[in-house]
Amino acid sequence: MSGKKIKVVLAKPGLDGHDRGVKVIARSLVEHGMEVVYLGLQQTPEAIVNAAIEEDADVIGLSVLSGSHMTQFKRVRELMLEHGIGDRLLTGGGIIPDKDRDRLVELGIGRLFGPGADIDEIANYIKEWAESRSAGTAET
Amino acid sequence: MNTQPSRVLSPELWEQFRQGSRIACARLVSLLENRPDLHPEIRHRLFPLQRGAVRIGITGPPGVGKSTVTSALTRQARVAGHTLAVIAVDPTSPFSGGAFLGDRIRMQDHIGDPGVFIRSLASRDGHGGLSPATPYAAEVFDAFGMDWILIETVGVGQAELDVLNCVDIVILVLQPGTGDIIQALKAGIMEAGDIFLINKADQPGVDMVLDSLRFIFQMDAHRPGYVPPPLLTAAAHTGTGMSEVFETVEQVIAKFRREGRLREKRRQRLEQDIREYIQQELWHRYLQLTDAQPEITRVARELTDSGRSPFPYIEQLKSRIRMERNHDQES
Ligand SMILES: Nc1nc2c(ncn2[C@@H]2O[C@H](COP(=O)(O)OP(=O)(O)O)[C@@H](O)[C@H]2O)c(=O)[nH]1
Ligand SMILES: [Mg+2]
Repeated sequence: MSGKKIKVVLAKPGLDGHDRGVKVIARSLVEHGMEVVYLGLQQTPEAIVNAAIEEDADVIGLSVLSGSHMTQFKRVRELMLEHGIGDRLLTGGGIIPDKDRDRLVELGIGRLFGPGADIDEIANYIKEWAESRSAGTAET
Repeated sequence: MNTQPSRVLSPELWEQFRQGSRIACARLVSLLENRPDLHPEIRHRLFPLQRGAVRIGITGPPGVGKSTVTSALTRQARVAGHTLAVIAVDPTSPFSGGAFLGDRIRMQDHIGDPGVFIRSLASRDGHGGLSPATPYAAEVFDAFGMDWILIETVGVGQAELDVLNCVDIVILVLQPGTGDIIQALKAGIMEAGDIFLINKADQPGVDMVLDSLRFIFQMDAHRPGYVPPPLLTAAAHTGTGMSEVFETVEQVIAKFRREGRLREKRRQRLEQDIREYIQQELWHRYLQLTDAQPEITRVARELTDSGRSPFPYIEQLKSRIRMERNHDQES
């Protein structure tokens, strides 16, 4: 009955300048049947969370290569909680040392993928998360 | 309403929506996208909240700058004090069912402005590049208090102009070098747009597009009372010409309102709405009464194999409906 598709807002926050990688991920998620709202480069955390609210996104995906992952992920997560969308998944990738990764996971952020990650693995992770979530809430 | 109120449509959700919660607004749009079974209940409750927002379609071939125009027009309308929703529709991939929704990239200027709400929709199984939920999303935004609703859709030929049915006015966006598309539209082009906008006027070839449009408009010039539609140029990425576009939109709205065309458009939409719900219901009932679905499937298969005409069977079904009716009247 429900025609629900997984909706993902995908962005590249921070100042680093090319979007090839994040576009490859976008294409892969589309091929996995998801609806991907692509925001582009140099997005502020405020803009990303604003988009996620308006799009009613299930998932926010960030690609952070500039080394500013701690501030970016943390700030987006804070804003999600502040605006009442803490129930959505925040995930993404970048070059993230293990100790940072652990701290981010403690903040309620989902799995983070390194630059060499298998792209299908990201899609499958999102799908599994969405399944467990809808099993929990029996919503749309 | 005879439908049971649904659990996902909690009183809190409606209360939050009325209080201006953007999360609740976004959620209602999603429910209209995903839950056709909830359409009657949601739309029924939205009706008393609607105030008659003007719906403006922005359509044209891919890449001509529709999203950029939409954003620039939004800026102008904000300065004039209007609140706006933007619905940006992009095609669903027929292979994966997924969609790449990239229009927001060009709409970054309005972040944090509570008078603007932008929503991307995938076309899903809609015809003509339009998501079936588009007109319903417009109802949500109208009820949310937006004055204008801009609906961006990809449209090239006449088949893609479904957007006409769900908006009050259409801006057809073209760019230098789209002469062949104008050729393809030719006869239908008058119906395709209330305002014609040549974007990317900073690029060479503007005069050629203008000439071919004027030439087509001339073919109608002999009709009594004929007024050609406004023909404008702009460079939306810098904003050049966009205040004229905004003023023209305001003028066209005022004119349509004066002439009763906004009202008439609304009446047509309501009539179509009623017809569609009744058609659906009748078809559903017919299948239930006669248990005809398996038979129709079987007959269609036989017809495919035999190459025979379906019309004798259609006649037979029609006479069966007549018999049902007579039977009803007797009892
Ligand atoms: N030169 C020029 N480029 C423009 C103009 N308006 C938009 N563009 C560019 O055209 C491309 C497509 O624009 P977009 O708004 O996404 O087009 P859409 O596919 O019709 O929505 C982008 O690279 C824009 O920056 C314009 O007036 N002049
Ligand atoms: Mg666009």
